[in-house]
Amino acid sequence: MADEVVPTWEEIARSYGRFLYTVAYRLTGNNDDAQDLVQDVLLRVRKGLGSYRPGSMEGWLSRIATNAFLDDVRRRRRRPLELLPDEPDRVTPPARAADVDLEAQVLPDDVQAALRRLPPEYRSAVVLSDVVGLSYQEISEALDVPVGTVRSRLHRGRAMLKKDLA
Amino acid sequence: MSAAEHLGDLLSALADGELTSFEAAAAQTHVTQCSVCAAELDDVTTARAFVRGLPQLDPPFGFYERVLRHDRRLAAAGTGWKGRRVAAAAFGSAAAAVVLLGLAPPRDTPVSPPVNSLVEAHATGASFGGDPLSRLAPIGVPVTFRR
Repeated sequence: MADEVVPTWEEIARSYGRFLYTVAYRLTGNNDDAQDLVQDVLLRVRKGLGSYRPGSMEGWLSRIATNAFLDDVRRRRRRPLELLPDEPDRVTPPARAADVDLEAQVLPDDVQAALRRLPPEYRSAVVLSDVVGLSYQEISEALDVPVGTVRSRLHRGRAMLKKDLA
Repeated sequence: MSAAEHLGDLLSALADGELTSFEAAAAQTHVTQCSVCAAELDDVTTARAFVRGLPQLDPPFGFYERVLRHDRRLAAAGTGWKGRRVAAAAFGSAAAAVVLLGLAPPRDTPVSPPVNSLVEAHATGASFGGDPLSRLAPIGVPVTFRR
């Protein structure tokens, strides 16, 4: 059955490259870190291709990407290093006029900047849910945390995003 | 209604369809009666819509080609990441050796050129050469070689 054929590393890079880069960018918030993360994911993919079970390739890739991202976050916490986003002026968006409809004015860059300001654990849950589209159970397995923790991180992350963008 | 009775993170689960039908029905009933939870549900669904509305992104031009090319080069050279670490260690050792050699004090190597035999050979050649200058050489021969 064609679905059961394990793809090669190159096929994954070519077929899911855009998806993978998008997830990496949403997690890291800047181009350089996103490229580093994608390369890290591809290395992990190559090492782990033997353990791949045919199913949702996107779910598998995003799981690897999120774990690689969180591993990097933990490393940086041990060796603090403050990184600036691509465009620092986006960190503090200008004040909005009170009478302008919020949804009409929020731009993708604003959302990305707000996403980047979330704690990494909340950001991971939000990206896996709202960018990748995983269920709570799948996120729980990907992050190796209980479903209740996923629900809590997701809810708090969304609440913080909304407050940040208000 | 006290804050302890608000639904909190169950609201996201409600929005995501992650509650059982019984739980969802109870939560919906609560939201219709609680303005705090209704507002919070609106907030999280709005935030969710923002993130879901983000576009897919294209990686920089040629990014994957560069990654694949780099990987093929490593494979052709028979060096994976571990191999590269070994190669780096070998390079480091070689570099250290060069530095040590460079820092070591120069040694004087004794040189003993065969001066006497060279002089003798020259004098002999000059004595019997046919050129005008060589004809002058025998003048010095008795002084140098016939003690």
